[in-house]
This record gives sequence, structure tokens and C-alpha cells, in this order.
Amino acid sequence: MTKDTNITGTTRRGALKTLAAGAAAGSLPLWARYAQAQTSEPIRIGFQVHRTGIGAAYGRWYDRTTSAAVKLINEAGGINGRMVEIVAEDDGTDPKRGAEVVEKFATQHNCDIGFGTLFSHVVIGSAPRAGELKLPYFVVSEGHHVASGMLNRWTVQPGITDVKSQVLAMAPFVSSNLGKKVTMIYPDFAFGHDHRDYFTEALAAQGGEVVAQIAIPPTETSFTKYFPKIPRETEVIYHVMVGPAVLTFVKEMGEFFGPSRPEMFGFIDSLEAVDLSSPGLEFLEGTYFWEGMPRYAQAEQTEFDKHYRAAVGVDANGASVSDPKDISTYAHMFGCWETLYTVKAGMEAAGYAGTADRAKLIEAVEAMTEIPASNAHPQGDKLFNGKTHQVFGHQYISKVIDGKMVLQHTTSIEDTLYPDEVDYTQQSF
Amino acid sequence: MSILQYRRRFPRLANTILWLPFCATQADAHAAEQGFVLLLPTDIYISAGVASVVMTVVLLSVLPAPLLRGLFRPLDLWRWHRAPAARLLTSSASFLILCALVWLGLSGPRDPLTNPLPLMIWTVWWIALVTVQGLFGDLWRWIDPWHGPVALSRWALWRGPPLRLPVQLGHSVAILTYLGFVIVLLADPAPSDPARLARYVGGYWLFTYVALLLFGPRWALRGEGIAMLMRCYAAVGLFGRRGRWFAAGLFGWQAMRRRAPGLGAAVFMLVILGCGSFDGLNETFWWLDLLGLNPLEFPGRTAVVIQNTAGLIVANLALIVAYGVSVRMGLALAGTDMTWRHAFCIYAPSILPIALGYHVGHYLTSLLVNGQYALAALNDPLARGDSLLGMETFYVTTGFFNTQDSVRLIWLCQAAAVVAGHVLAILMAHLIALNHLGNARRAMLSQLPLAGFMVLYTLFGLWLLAAPRGL
Repeated sequence: MTKDTNITGTTRRGALKTLAAGAAAGSLPLWARYAQAQTSEPIRIGFQVHRTGIGAAYGRWYDRTTSAAVKLINEAGGINGRMVEIVAEDDGTDPKRGAEVVEKFATQHNCDIGFGTLFSHVVIGSAPRAGELKLPYFVVSEGHHVASGMLNRWTVQPGITDVKSQVLAMAPFVSSNLGKKVTMIYPDFAFGHDHRDYFTEALAAQGGEVVAQIAIPPTETSFTKYFPKIPRETEVIYHVMVGPAVLTFVKEMGEFFGPSRPEMFGFIDSLEAVDLSSPGLEFLEGTYFWEGMPRYAQAEQTEFDKHYRAAVGVDANGASVSDPKDISTYAHMFGCWETLYTVKAGMEAAGYAGTADRAKLIEAVEAMTEIPASNAHPQGDKLFNGKTHQVFGHQYISKVIDGKMVLQHTTSIEDTLYPDEVDYTQQSF
Repeated sequence: MSILQYRRRFPRLANTILWLPFCATQADAHAAEQGFVLLLPTDIYISAGVASVVMTVVLLSVLPAPLLRGLFRPLDLWRWHRAPAARLLTSSASFLILCALVWLGLSGPRDPLTNPLPLMIWTVWWIALVTVQGLFGDLWRWIDPWHGPVALSRWALWRGPPLRLPVQLGHSVAILTYLGFVIVLLADPAPSDPARLARYVGGYWLFTYVALLLFGPRWALRGEGIAMLMRCYAAVGLFGRRGRWFAAGLFGWQAMRRRAPGLGAAVFMLVILGCGSFDGLNETFWWLDLLGLNPLEFPGRTAVVIQNTAGLIVANLALIVAYGVSVRMGLALAGTDMTWRHAFCIYAPSILPIALGYHVGHYLTSLLVNGQYALAALNDPLARGDSLLGMETFYVTTGFFNTQDSVRLIWLCQAAAVVAGHVLAILMAHLIALNHLGNARRAMLSQLPLAGFMVLYTLFGLWLLAAPRGL
């Protein structure tokens, strides 16, 4: 454990000073940064990765994205002239082990920060330990738990937007373009309940109405008995099914509706890492999906997206360059990439020199606001809220056309905002 | 908006079976693969698999005994050479490799899919090598990491074992050590954590080494679960020793020639199958639902340590009782004076191909993915960017889980392994009955309950492959 004698005196103004100092350090010529990097201790980033357990499919791509980002960061001179070293520990997608892994980062591996956690229950299980150990904990989980105020000042989500802002931003598009009477079909646990609650409220604010909420038990593998519950007046079906039975869900829904179906809107979480040209998914042709970042390279693809795809080894269809059938978790994994670059910017702004500067790092990140799209932030512009420790950004709505998702609408960042529910900066370190 | 009437194309047998009362990971979540499996007409495949096993039973009622015996008659290939010096060398080399792996486990990368120790233990050894042992014969004899060090230590100490392993213990110690191993595999919170696994492997090696020095080779015969497992599976393999000859024959020919196992060894064979079956059941929605857990938000292995340990014990007890009752019913049907204990023992080897078939079927998907990680780890064992195998950029893929055709092929291979294991088991059990009862009609009658048990077990094994899983 490091002593935190310097931490209590750190203020927002102090952090801004260090921002300037960091910027100066960042302006060192490349050769000088390299020279220093060769001799310095590396910055050790504890990567809490779902290598086994239910998050393993995501973990593989989170790992690949993280490795690609760190390679580029190191090739460009590292952070503050120091190389970045990833210390990957498997948490088994297990909250209890998650807390143990965080503890290992702080006490055994001498990591500067913890990073990378995806599944909400693991974040919620690990964050208290990170707070106790005063370890900056950068999560990439989409959960609303950070911005809701249930965690602590040491936990930050600067690389991916939360589910509440994603869902809220969908309501204007759905009500204006697809229909005002919506039936929601969702799995009957916290993930589905979040969608149910946020969307129902947001749609009402747009003058629409959720006419039915159909909760599916998580162990269900056949869905035919639920479809007759869809009211006849339904104009849009909003679906967020997850798990192994998703393909069956789509197939059975196709059989139920036949050629005449209502408009459909879903979250790509249901089919993340699944090939859309799979048999049974033809029914999704013409339906809409939320995407955190468009899986398919669009006609107006940015240079940033090109750069990011090439570095991670993903082709224009969102698949691995080594196997066109190996579909990435493209809508989510950019969060690892962007979080690492935010950590880099934060450390440079804070003049981060070692574990004694952990609080300065948090303060430097809290001081961030607008983050423009760049190679470091290929998903798009962001707006970081230092009080809630949550980043906000554009959301993408795509339509399945000829088996590919084609971008139809990009929300504004304003569409994704909601009133602050916490001010972590008021909490002491 | 009109909503057409739903019509259901396939009634799903799998779903019906899902809610039957109990009939019996290193796992990665491959939701896409499972999604495709749920779309496959697995109910038809399962019916075909079960029908094949039933047909085997029917066929046996008309198959002449000499023909069946002929099936299991091996072919001598060449003279057997013991080659003790070579074995000493290979075993010692295996020990040194194990030492290096344990050292890497303690000091190498923390990622279980990068560190070579978890990949070599759980993928290369437990999945692949045990399969090779079962398919081809006693490879373990050459590479077990104790034989060399123990022989050298004995030579240095210049004395034999100071203690005798009490005969009364039978094979109970081997059953306990094997169960201990399986509990680590199935119920430990983090069996793939490199440092944790290094301590387990190092500790077990040391424990066994000391026990072998104290009790001598008897420990390997009756006390060490892994050695016992390997000997059992070697008896199913194609190649083996026949007197002075190295011979080859149909899977199981060696088991048919061996002396019937004692009660403890017979129970051990059932425990192999019981553990293998539970390692599969514990991943199903059925099991997680029984535990009151949401499979889509599985709280992790730390939440099921007690439940999985208890489940493992109950699954084994249930299997032993079901097998025992089948054997007892068979004796009653055949009207023979053979004792129940004797019958329990003589038929037990016929369980081994079922266990092996399920081992192959259950782990095939893990092997396809983690085998790639193992290759990558050999290419760069210290995770410092080395390219020892010449693989510069190597991306592990799971693309084969993303198409209907490849998932169907994988599933059918898994099912074929399970069905082949059961067909072989029926053949072996029938020949054992013929050998011990002489009369073909009595042999058939004595076999009916056990054959029924095996048919149901086929159904169960195939259902396990088709059932939705949460891990």
C-alpha cells in the first residue's frame, strides 16, 4: 500500500496545473520519450478480464482491443515516457473473484490502476474493494451503477456510455420514425428491467406509449407462448433478449409473424459476436438496432474507425481479419481502447509519476469535459461528466439491409443526457 | 398490424427432457454456438443416437458368440520391449517439463489463457492426453512425472518402501484422491489461475512422490487416482501388450482380457463416469435453475462451491445405485447363482467406453478453442513477444461456432463419440455375460436391465450436449 500524504492536499486547481505540466511532458520529442521509456519502470495497468465464465466471449475481444491499444501507446512513447505493461488477471466473471483480483492489483502486482471490467455484477462486487485500497478503477461495463452513485470516487467509466443514456436516446428515434405504440420483450432480470424502466419513461416523454411489457424468464428456451401476448395495436417491438436462446427467439418470432410484422427495434447486445447472415436471422432484415459503434464500416467511415479496425485486426464486416466468421464484439470493445487513451491523457495531465499520484489521476480525469473524436476516440465525440464519473457520447441506430447493418441515425450527445444523480467530487479520497 | 397464428415446426424433445427429474469448465461461454445447437433438430439426432444403441442390443441377440469374441481378438504386431531405461528417461523429462510449467505458473503471465501451465494441464493433459490414452493405449506409462524421480530417489536412498498400504483400504484411497482432483476441476473457484494451479500441481506431485516412496508401487496401483484413471482408460485403447507381444485390437480388447476388477476398482470405474457426467450437468440451465441461479447472470464459481461438490457426490452415488440395481435385476432375470458383488465387478469395465465417449464429446469445443491458446502459449511462453513456433501474429478464433454447418458438424462429432462409447459398452457387457454365463439366452436376459440403463444413459449424454448451458 502506498501512503497518500500528498493526496489530501490535491485540489481541482492543482489538477489543472498538472494538466499543463502533463501537456508539456507530452510535447517532448519522440526520441526523448523513447529514451526515458527504456530506463523507467513501466506503468502497470491491472486488466481485470473475463477470461472464463459467462463473459469469456466478450473477454477475448476486450483482451484483443486492449493489447492493440497498448501496443500503439507504447510505440508512440508510452505514458509520461514510461512503457505501459498490462497485468491481465482472470476474474472468472465472478464478483467475489473480481474483488480478489482488484486486491491483487493493488497489493501483489503493484499496479497503478485497475481497468477493463465489463459485467455489471463484477463491477459492483469489485468497486468497493478498489475504493478501500484507493486504486483507480476504470470500468468498461455500460452499467448505470457508476453514474447512479452506488459506487465510489475511485471508480470511473470514461470510455463507454451507460445503458441509461443509451436507452433514453433511442426513444426520440423510435417514436418519430417507427411508431408510438411499443411492446417491450426483455429478459426478466436486472438487465431487462433497466431497459423496461428507462425506455418506458423516455417514450412517454416523447408522447409514445409502451402498450405491453413482456418479461421472459431467463431459463426460457422457447418463446411461442409469449408472442400471443403482443397486443394487436403494437406498432413497434422493442426486444433485448440475451443468452443462448436468442437465435431461437428470432426464428420463432419470424414464424409467428410471417411476412407481416410490426417495426422492430433491438439492442445489438442480443446478437453481439453473432453473424447476421446466420440462418434464421433473415427475419431481422429491415429491422433496427442500437449499436455502440457500427459493426460494419459505413460509407462515411471515419479515418479514426479505419485506424482502429486495422490496429485491432477487424475487417469491414466487424470480423477478425484472420477469420471472416469470427465476429467481434464491435459495439462494446472500443470502450477498452478509449478508456486506455483516457487513462493516458489523465496520467499526462496529472503528471502521474507513481502510485502516490493515484488521487491526482482521478482528479485529472474528473476535470475532463469535451473529448473530440480522434484515433484515440474512434467511436466519436464524448462529453465526460466529472461529477458522475460517466462519459456520454453519440449512439448509433442501424438498419439491417441485405444482411448488414447500415447506419440510419446518429443521436446527438444531448439526446443521451439526464440529470446528475451523484457528485463523486464531493466525496473525500 | 395483423398477427398471424403461430405454428410450431418441431416439438423439441430436448425441452421435454429438460424438466425430467434428475437423470444425472474449464468452460467458455460461446453463446453463438449454443444458439445454433438450440436451432439444430437435436431431438431427431438424439432419437437416432438412442436408436443406434437399441439396435446394437437387438443385433446382439442374433450375433453368434464366436463372431463377437472375434471382434475383440487383437492382432500381434511386434515383440514387446520393456525398455526400462527409456521409460526412466521419458518420465524424468516429463518431470522436468512439469517443474518448468509450475515455475511458469508461479512467475509467468497471470492470464490463464496466456500462461502455459493452465493450458498444458487442463487442455493438453486433461482433455487431449486423457483422450489419447483412451483411444490409443498406455502413453501415460511413459510420461508420468513420478516414475523417474521415484526410481532415482529409491536408488539414492538404497531402500524399499518402509510402509505397507493396508489391504483393507482397497481402492478407496484412489477413489478419494480422484474425487479430490475432480472437486478442484469442477468446484474450485479458480482452477485455471496460474499461481493457484501451480500450488495444486506442485502439492499433488509432492504428496504423490512422498506416498510412492513410503508405500511403494502399491500407491500407484491403489492410492493414486490419476494413475488409476490412466490405467483404466489405457484398457480401452487400441494398442497394448499381449504377453510378449505388442498388439492392436478393437477398443476395449485389453479390458476384456484383464482380470475382473475388485469391488473398489469397479466403483472407481463408475466414479469416472459419474464425475464426467456431472461435468456437463453442472453447466446446464437445468442445474442452475435447480440452484435458484439466473444462468444469464451467473454469479460465478465462488457461488457454487458447496453446491457443485454436493452435486458431484450425489451424481456419483446415484450412478452407482442405478448401475447396481440394473446388475441385480439382470441376475434375477437370468436366474443365475452368480453373486451380485461378482456381477457388479465383472461388468464395470464396460462402463469405461461410455466415460471416454463422453469425455471426448464434452470437451471437444473447449479443445477447439483452448487448443489454439495452447499453441499460442507454446509460441510465446513468457508472453514477451517471442515467436518460437514462427507464428508472428496469431489471433485465436471461434468463427466455427458462428455458422450452422460447422456447429452441426461439431455437434454430430460430439454425439458420435457419445453413441460410439455406448455401442462399445453394450458389446463389451454382452461378451462379458457370455463369458461368465455361457448360455446365450441367459446372457441376453442378464443384459437387458444393464442395456436399458445404457440406452437411458445415451439419452442423458446426448441431452447434455443439446441442453442450453449457462457457463
